[in-house]
Amino acid sequence: MMFAAAIIAVLIALTLAVARALAGPTAFDRLLAANKIGVGAIMLLALFGFMTERPEFLDVGITYALLNMIGTLAVLKFFRYGALGHAQDLDRDPG
Amino acid sequence: MGQVIDLLSWAALLGGGFFYVVGAIGLNRMPDIFTRMHAVSVSETLGVGLLTLGMLLQAGITLVAVKLIIIVAVMWVTGAVATHALARAALHDGEKPLLADASGALVATDPVELFPELGVRLATPLKSEIVEEEPAEEEAPEALAETGYGGEEEDANPDAEPPGNAGPDSAGPDSANRDGR
Repeated sequence: MMFAAAIIAVLIALTLAVARALAGPTAFDRLLAANKIGVGAIMLLALFGFMTERPEFLDVGITYALLNMIGTLAVLKFFRYGALGHAQDLDRDPG
Repeated sequence: MGQVIDLLSWAALLGGGFFYVVGAIGLNRMPDIFTRMHAVSVSETLGVGLLTLGMLLQAGITLVAVKLIIIVAVMWVTGAVATHALARAALHDGEKPLLADASGALVATDPVELFPELGVRLATPLKSEIVEEEPAEEEAPEALAETGYGGEEEDANPDAEPPGNAGPDSAGPDSANRDGR
């Protein structure tokens, strides 16, 4: 029951974050919302695992946490340099 | 004893859900990207911590608790790092934060104009600056040949800085910035 309440709260927050991701004027707004959606998905997995008493969902959550970090940094690097290659390649051929 | 733990767990889960929703509301109501970042990252750190605390109390001392602690540790570290990188990327892309002027009205202001010393710290080579510095490229192949694969930090900085414009003291923060990325 307590997990169901927390799940509802996280779902409300995810809906608001999706609204910002769709509306956000700049790409950084969308990225911020996407990051929050990623964290919300991890929390949702953990809470759902506890609610149904299947804690195996936590392993999936750990994977999502690591992927979320890598994905955000990769997109940010793309925005900064215009490519995902090494810096020395970018000096020769800025994208 | 079990009821006390249940009560604490309820409080932590409800508090965590509250702060998580507050962050999402701030994401929608704040006026510009930097204030949105502030609303989301701060409340999210607390919300995730409280939600995890609620689950930890229910899990007891088990392997599940260890996994929960791993998750929350990763998210506390990466959330701060990702927000910091996002703010830097937004500044470099030309996003101007809303700052109050003399009369108190919110105006999109370039922070480097207000704090010139900030410009030196933010002056990591941008895409556009790298394009302009073609003439200084002669040194780059030698430096690359000497240092091999890892030479990008050392030779990229002299290339990207306008000659005579930046002092030698600005090389330190620049290389640190490129390392951190």
